[in-house]
Amino acid sequence: MRSRLALGAVGTVAGVYGAFLLLSRQQPEDWVEVAIWFAVGVVVHDFVLAPLMLVAGVVMVRVLPAAARAPAVVGLVVLGSVTLLAVPVLGGFGVVPDNPTLFDRSYLAGWAVLAGVVLAGVLAAALARRSRASSTTEEPDGARPGR
Amino acid sequence: MKAVARAVPREEHFTSRLRSPAVAARIGLWLGICFTITFLTGLISHYAQNPTHPIPFPTSPPWGYRVTQGLHVTTGYACVPLLLVKLWSVFPKLFARPPRDRSELALHAAERASIGVLVAAAIFQLVSGIANAAQWYPWSTFSFRGTHYAVAWVAIGAVVVHIAVKLPVIRAALGADVDDTSQDRPSATRPGVLTRRGLLRTTWLSAGVAVLATAGASVPLLRRVSVFGVNSGEGPGGIPINKTARSAGVTTTATSASYTLSVSYGEREVSLTRADLEGLAQQTETLPISCVEGWSESGDWTGPRVRDLLALVGAPPGRDLLVVSLQEAGPFRSATLQAGYVDDDRTLLALGLDGEPLALDHGYPCRVIAPNRPGVLQTKWVSRLEVL
Repeated sequence: MRSRLALGAVGTVAGVYGAFLLLSRQQPEDWVEVAIWFAVGVVVHDFVLAPLMLVAGVVMVRVLPAAARAPAVVGLVVLGSVTLLAVPVLGGFGVVPDNPTLFDRSYLAGWAVLAGVVLAGVLAAALARRSRASSTTEEPDGARPGR
Repeated sequence: MKAVARAVPREEHFTSRLRSPAVAARIGLWLGICFTITFLTGLISHYAQNPTHPIPFPTSPPWGYRVTQGLHVTTGYACVPLLLVKLWSVFPKLFARPPRDRSELALHAAERASIGVLVAAAIFQLVSGIANAAQWYPWSTFSFRGTHYAVAWVAIGAVVVHIAVKLPVIRAALGADVDDTSQDRPSATRPGVLTRRGLLRTTWLSAGVAVLATAGASVPLLRRVSVFGVNSGEGPGGIPINKTARSAGVTTTATSASYTLSVSYGEREVSLTRADLEGLAQQTETLPISCVEGWSESGDWTGPRVRDLLALVGAPPGRDLLVVSLQEAGPFRSATLQAGYVDDDRTLLALGLDGEPLALDHGYPCRVIAPNRPGVLQTKWVSRLEVL
């Protein structure tokens, strides 16, 4: 318990130091903007992204055959998270017109290749699961916790 | 009010057994490791960019900053899938109802507040860092460097507090099998589409893909597979450019026939044309440009040693140097080259790159190139060297 309290105290000091840096080295209008960005990040995750995942889960169970569900989830997590971190380059938001040496890839083509690879993997895994499931019909898919 | 309370889901409405401390602790472990890496490499980068170094920043190995900053940015990318799945695994906690007991309520509120700070700071760091790596500044007033640095302390502090609060849960979860259910919420019993191991492997796979898709901007071997790298490593002399001469507003002055470089130490001053500089003893050094945005590229730079230039005005060793550019404005118009760099034999005032005269966008007529230094401080279009 004592080590946890010490750890908590260290973390609090570090966090308070960060807050002190924010307040002492920036102007009040910066504080407001930082606060807005703090809130926007949480709101977008908690009230947009997370509910979308819930909806995606429900839709997937209705639409996809059992053998395709697990591969689809893997594909969605890989492609979804990597697409999210590529938003700035995919949108070309930092592109400077007179500098051809930065952001000089065709990012949409790159995304299409990645999506194609992921989709191919999902399809291959789904087909493999279906043929395995039909050879051992007595085991319904996904009903064995702890596998 | 009651209708609203009924519409909001409750913790027990989430039934997947994947949303378990066993999963959260395992992803949290890696997230904690990655946040520690980004924090430490971030401290290094922040210190390297400070104008004064009470403890001299080392000039060796020359690729040190290339490695730490490449690691910083790449680890940040890897954190995106880790953080998303981590938040997914604990999402029901968002809907936990506060306890009735007053004394428990204060503790509960404090913990919720610390989690709120942790999540907000973590998302802020990833979003602002990834935007900065893509040179995208969707915010209007705050400065990236100062804010990313300050919030880094908030984020790492919140991580440490979170570990302190959760330590018994983390210990129990990591000490038991991943399918152990002893710490699960009572409602978390429905088998998921994936197994817990399957979800963890999916998370590691996503982090791996995130790294492969971006790291090519600093790891030449990965250039072809890094479809989201911020550049392909192409440019004049084989090195990309961050700021062009045109956007710096120096095209006319940098190509002017009347260009001279002023080197001064107190009252002593010499003026050198580009031809004068070419007449000095030339050195060639292989040094990387290591951008603070994470990309890096090595080049063969040729030019006189900065030390030899300062010898022309009789400057002693051990002095900082103010390097001023032809740029008329901007935060990187001038930079302090600390004594450790000034005295290093490898620090050049480069006139050429890869056997060719320096391209205008690389800093023609001359630029500073020093070992183990953030690229943003390797001043281009140098007009004045002033010993401090």
